[in-house]
Amino acid sequence: MIELHNVSLAYQHDTPALNNVTLSIAKGEFALVTGVSGAGKSTLLKLIYAALRPTGGQVVVDGLNITGLPVSQIPRLRRKIGVVFQDFKLLPARTVLDNVALTLEVLGWGKHDINRKVYHILKQVGLEHKIKSTPLRLSGGEQQRVAMARALVNDPRIILADEPTGNLDEASKEKVLEILKEASIRGSTVVVATHDRRLMGDWCKRMIVLEKGAVVENANVA
Amino acid sequence: MSRDKKKKRPRLAREGFVGRLHYFTERALLNIRQNVLVNLITVGTISLAFLILSLFLLIYVNLERVTETWSERVQVTVYFDRELTSGEVASFSAKIRAVGGVSGIDYISRDEAMRRFAERLKGQEKLLQDVSPETLPSSLEIRLKRHMRESQAIGGFVARLKAVPGIGEVQYGEEWVERFSDFMAVVRFAGLLLGGFLVLAVVFIVANTIKLTIYSRKDELELMGLVGATRLFIKVPFLIEGILQGVVGAALALLFLLAAYALFLHNADFLLSFSQAAAGLVFLPPSQCALLLGGGALLGFLGSLTSLKRFITL
Ligand SMILES: Nc1ncnc2c1ncn2[C@@H]1O[C@H](COP(=O)(O)OP(=O)(O)OP(=O)(O)O)[C@@H](O)[C@H]1O
Ligand SMILES: [Mg+2]
Repeated sequence: MIELHNVSLAYQHDTPALNNVTLSIAKGEFALVTGVSGAGKSTLLKLIYAALRPTGGQVVVDGLNITGLPVSQIPRLRRKIGVVFQDFKLLPARTVLDNVALTLEVLGWGKHDINRKVYHILKQVGLEHKIKSTPLRLSGGEQQRVAMARALVNDPRIILADEPTGNLDEASKEKVLEILKEASIRGSTVVVATHDRRLMGDWCKRMIVLEKGAVVENANVA
Repeated sequence: MSRDKKKKRPRLAREGFVGRLHYFTERALLNIRQNVLVNLITVGTISLAFLILSLFLLIYVNLERVTETWSERVQVTVYFDRELTSGEVASFSAKIRAVGGVSGIDYISRDEAMRRFAERLKGQEKLLQDVSPETLPSSLEIRLKRHMRESQAIGGFVARLKAVPGIGEVQYGEEWVERFSDFMAVVRFAGLLLGGFLVLAVVFIVANTIKLTIYSRKDELELMGLVGATRLFIKVPFLIEGILQGVVGAALALLFLLAAYALFLHNADFLLSFSQAAAGLVFLPPSQCALLLGGGALLGFLGSLTSLKRFITL
């Protein structure tokens, strides 16, 4: 589903954030990308949803080589991918409903269908009672779950979650992982970036460890 | 990966052009409601800019009208040292009209000339003692169309008039016409300069306030791109919003100007007391109001378009 072949990425003038990374994540797999802060986890995810272009190598997503993808094709790629951003990127002036609905509006869904679907996904993350709140009136963990709902609401083929358990207590962490796990069981390919190796549960079969932009461990855990 | 959900893919809400336009307009209105303050400031700024421009236009239009009435004084007189028969008047009139640019011709007989002369010398009748109608010339007074009333045009007209057989002495207030023409040239130049300057200022102000509206929502623009919106999908609501801001701004300016006009400008005779013919100010003609509204729409559209270019990386 996701393949990187000798991918390098350097931000301007800096030492490369990713260096000759080769890896492949299969359909329906649940993969954990770990590494210390600054190892290049977010950068790796950004390459997959084409927010960054590699300075070397090839990136293939869902059978499509996106390395030189024309800008006009990017929306089609991103509709297949649900992203939970490290900084959430919720719109503070919009309600939770509007924030989550955005993913479906972009796909051209009708209002009625959107409302039903958004309510359904919010119930799944346990926030249906906050549907009319704005993100500013939510706790950090609640915001995180709204960001999650927005990424999952269109049942994307690929889910990229950047530190989805960043500032959550144990119970909330469990809940978030549960939701991602369910999505994986339903057939989505899930990639979670985190510095916290302990997230690795028995159900997670795949771990990729980054260090200074290079893959140092790429294991299928039995 | 099971894609069994495909069969119950929801009906698209914006199928067809009308459906899309409806969706985008709804979106734009929602955006305005969600950003009331920013929109109020934007529309307020735009209307202030347009108010200054339309006030200038109002002044210019009225100045033109005043000079129009002044220029009606310009007329060419052909003198004859004898009385013309009505047949002669008709044939001269036809020949003069054939020269072109004539809006009217009056025959002034010797008796009529005498009467006018007497009227002018009212109170000094003594001076009239030696004057009899026979000593005065009869004449044809030629009124000209607007475009013929200025120095160069009138010179050409007179030259062609003199070529008509039977026409000898021709007079027009040459000096006055020249001064009037110079004055008009100055007015037009100043109008063009000031008007051009104001238009530039308005363009600059409108473009920049709209850029601010869009800048305040650059996170939204970025996010839309990240969740898979096409460039068109992101842009159109903002373009509609820009057009609305421009039109509403221009309309508010016109309403404000109209209110000011209705309250005190329309009977501001004192401003124009130097010309009795121009009683009161006129408001902008509908064509110019439409031009201002259209200009508002265009500026709003272009302002949004150029600002969006900077924030949409798609
Ligand atoms: N926009 C940018 N411009 C320049 N350098 C950047 C940029 N974003 C990231 N970097 C650099 O690239 C390297 C990798 O960053 P990245 O965000 O991928 O790390 P990360 O593994 O996600 O870290 P964290 O766990 O703190 O989120 C870092 O050294 C960082 O300083
Ligand atoms: Mg990161």
